[in-house]
Amino acid sequence: MLTLTAALTASACSGGGDAPQTDPNTITVMAKLFGTAPDPNGEMQQAVEKFLGKKLKMNWVPNAEYTDKLNVTFASGNLPQVMVVDPHLPGFVKAAEAGAFWDLTSKLDKYPNLKPADQRTALNSSINGKIYGLYRMRPSLRSAMIIRKDWLDKLGLKLPETVDDLYTIAKAFAEKDPDGNGKKDTYGLIIPKWPGNYASASPYDVLETWFGAPNGWGERNGKLVPGFDTPEFLEANKFLKKMVSEGLVNPDFATLDSAKWNEPFHQGKGGMIIDVNIRSRQVLDLFREDDPKNYGDKVAMVGNLKRSDGQKFSYPFTGYADVLAISRQSVPTEQDLDNVLKTLDKLATKEGQVLLQNGIEGRNFKVEGDTASLINETDPKVEIVQKDVDNAFIQLSTKGTNDFGGLAYVRTPSGEPYKEMLKLQKQLMDEDLKTAVFNPALPVVSPTAVSRGAQIDTIIPDARIKFLSGELTEEQLKGEIKRWYDSGGTQVATEVNDLVSKLGKTN
Amino acid sequence: MATDLAPPPTKAASKSGHRRPGVGLRAVFGRYRWLYLMLLPGIVYFALFKYLPMYGVTIAFQDFLPFLGYSGSPWVGFKHFEELFAGPDFGRLMFNTLFLALLHMLIVFPAPIVVALLLNELRINILKRSVQSLVYIPHFLSWTIVAALTYVLFAADFGVLSGWIRDFLGDTSKIDYMAQEDWFRPLIILQQLWKLTGWGTIIYLAALAGVDPQLYEAARMDGAGRFKQLWHVTLPAIRPTIVVMAILASGNLLDSGFEQIWLMTTSLNRSVADVFDTYVYYSGITQGAISYSTAVGLFKGVAGVILIFGSNWLAKRLGQRGLF
Repeated sequence: MLTLTAALTASACSGGGDAPQTDPNTITVMAKLFGTAPDPNGEMQQAVEKFLGKKLKMNWVPNAEYTDKLNVTFASGNLPQVMVVDPHLPGFVKAAEAGAFWDLTSKLDKYPNLKPADQRTALNSSINGKIYGLYRMRPSLRSAMIIRKDWLDKLGLKLPETVDDLYTIAKAFAEKDPDGNGKKDTYGLIIPKWPGNYASASPYDVLETWFGAPNGWGERNGKLVPGFDTPEFLEANKFLKKMVSEGLVNPDFATLDSAKWNEPFHQGKGGMIIDVNIRSRQVLDLFREDDPKNYGDKVAMVGNLKRSDGQKFSYPFTGYADVLAISRQSVPTEQDLDNVLKTLDKLATKEGQVLLQNGIEGRNFKVEGDTASLINETDPKVEIVQKDVDNAFIQLSTKGTNDFGGLAYVRTPSGEPYKEMLKLQKQLMDEDLKTAVFNPALPVVSPTAVSRGAQIDTIIPDARIKFLSGELTEEQLKGEIKRWYDSGGTQVATEVNDLVSKLGKTN
Repeated sequence: MATDLAPPPTKAASKSGHRRPGVGLRAVFGRYRWLYLMLLPGIVYFALFKYLPMYGVTIAFQDFLPFLGYSGSPWVGFKHFEELFAGPDFGRLMFNTLFLALLHMLIVFPAPIVVALLLNELRINILKRSVQSLVYIPHFLSWTIVAALTYVLFAADFGVLSGWIRDFLGDTSKIDYMAQEDWFRPLIILQQLWKLTGWGTIIYLAALAGVDPQLYEAARMDGAGRFKQLWHVTLPAIRPTIVVMAILASGNLLDSGFEQIWLMTTSLNRSVADVFDTYVYYSGITQGAISYSTAVGLFKGVAGVILIFGSNWLAKRLGQRGLF
């Protein structure tokens, strides 16, 4: 504990004084990093600096510790000018509401490329209607189910359409020896230890939505209620509990490291994954390493499943992944803000987005029609450019991804199965969007949820897992839901209802 | 400490030969100036890195917002403490922390003493030394590795040990040792025993090496067997060491070992795994509730100080030399 206060003291001493001198020709940014950090003198960074006509000072933070680092940085009082941040992270909400970040709600219209492309998503990424950052656009319907195609074929099964099919297939995968080794050593569905809380796009959340439960919050009898306080939630979890108790789900579902999610699928221990659709291409990668010819026969994908009665509810994601927020401490005046926004505006142009997401044209990719294909893949220097794009610079792009376009070129993967999968992805997204269940409470942040998060956030996801593993009865699960209400949840619900109705009036 | 040392022979002192030690503060400083000068870096270090940061605990009494700083954040008095004490987590945190501490004191603390006594009875030196080396190797492994090893041994699916246990019991059900509440504390204690025992043994072995062999000879002359020697010679000889170690341990009673517990926590065992240390991290760093988690940490610190003074007092009452 002392170390925490020590860090805070040291930084608060320096933070209280004069703000760092802003140099209009330098921009400082903190962003997520996957893999190794780009060299500040590397080709990619130089290309971006040349494009902007400015020095770029990047603070790359590994994704796994990003949230921790964010909270510490907020406390440090020494903020970079631009930060990639989840706009609903309690630490950010508190800092933003205290005035640590610029309220951009009325400022974006002046910049041709920063004006939110989608008002609904802009609202969803806001804090109670106030926009504190440029949202990074992502396709909203990305939930899907990935299945071992070879197993389905071997057992003569069809692709699932309903949750009942899901059960049938899982049972067959577990009991009918799909890998043909004569042993009963497989299971149907693979679920990892989920790092997020309730309504954080976990397989549980997706399945509950398939059963008709709200996505996070939903209207019941004219009032917004949390999704877990509905009969559909219970129904879905009873269904899953049955699968767990019959051995159709991996037995270590509460402890399996989520970074190893693909392993049991690839190793033939389990046959189904409910997650984002791009995971299908990750597992294709794994199978291609084993067998570059027939890897396409191993992976199938379907979209959201129907309920037993044929009704379909699809689970959408938020439509954005984090926002770019601008610090008021290191960007003190309106003039400085204008300077930073102009820079971001330039990055949001077609040229900027292509640079951030595709890389350097003619160096690591070439344009074919409206898609980009990789070139010079074996040149180690080009490989670095490609890695710097994929692991790092793509994090600064705000207009879509190179999976589905946006402003940058869609990257065409080599190999027919990849192309097929990409096509299927698009098709499923469009189809599932029609039945998407949106979370009406996404734009609002209840103050009680922010201040009491430590005490109540784990109650529901923990209870859910305990119920699934048979440690809690249905009555005890309901007791835990009541405990959530008693520990501050009642207040959260009231505040969410108030905030949403206020939001409705202003729009 | 400085006063125990002989004063340095300053020029003035050596000339006059028998000058009386100075009476005023100034004279004392002058006489021992080099010693005080040597003390200075230590004082500066503690002031800068140990005492100054303590000012930071004031944020436990504020609704601290970094943007506003210490001066700008509103004061809220004991709000965060009230929230903690009245909150639903406090009882559980207190129980988990104390229960783990109790298990630690009962099982992990005496283990090095027992091992040291056993090793001391070994008469083959080479065996004694190799056992000693072997048991303290785990000390050098990080908790991350210990947790990973535990996972490999006890995982429901492929755990080596859980497989053996299943075969041995002829049990077909898969117990997920890593995920069950009932198994959390045994696993934690087992890990601590494995990792900490050998290292702790070193101090007691050192103390045992200092026991006068004549005492054993005298005891043997009086007809004491191995066990009587152990009881009447060895144990009393290392008793002061044990007491000091116990007092020191009591100060860390509420330190449940953040890393170890954090690594072993899952959704299924959180209700028994949550302790003050992990809670401070979770609420402070992960959730960003800085003031609240500082209040929790401060409470823990105060309780630790009370415990160490209490056990020191108790040791003195029981006729032992305390720590201070």
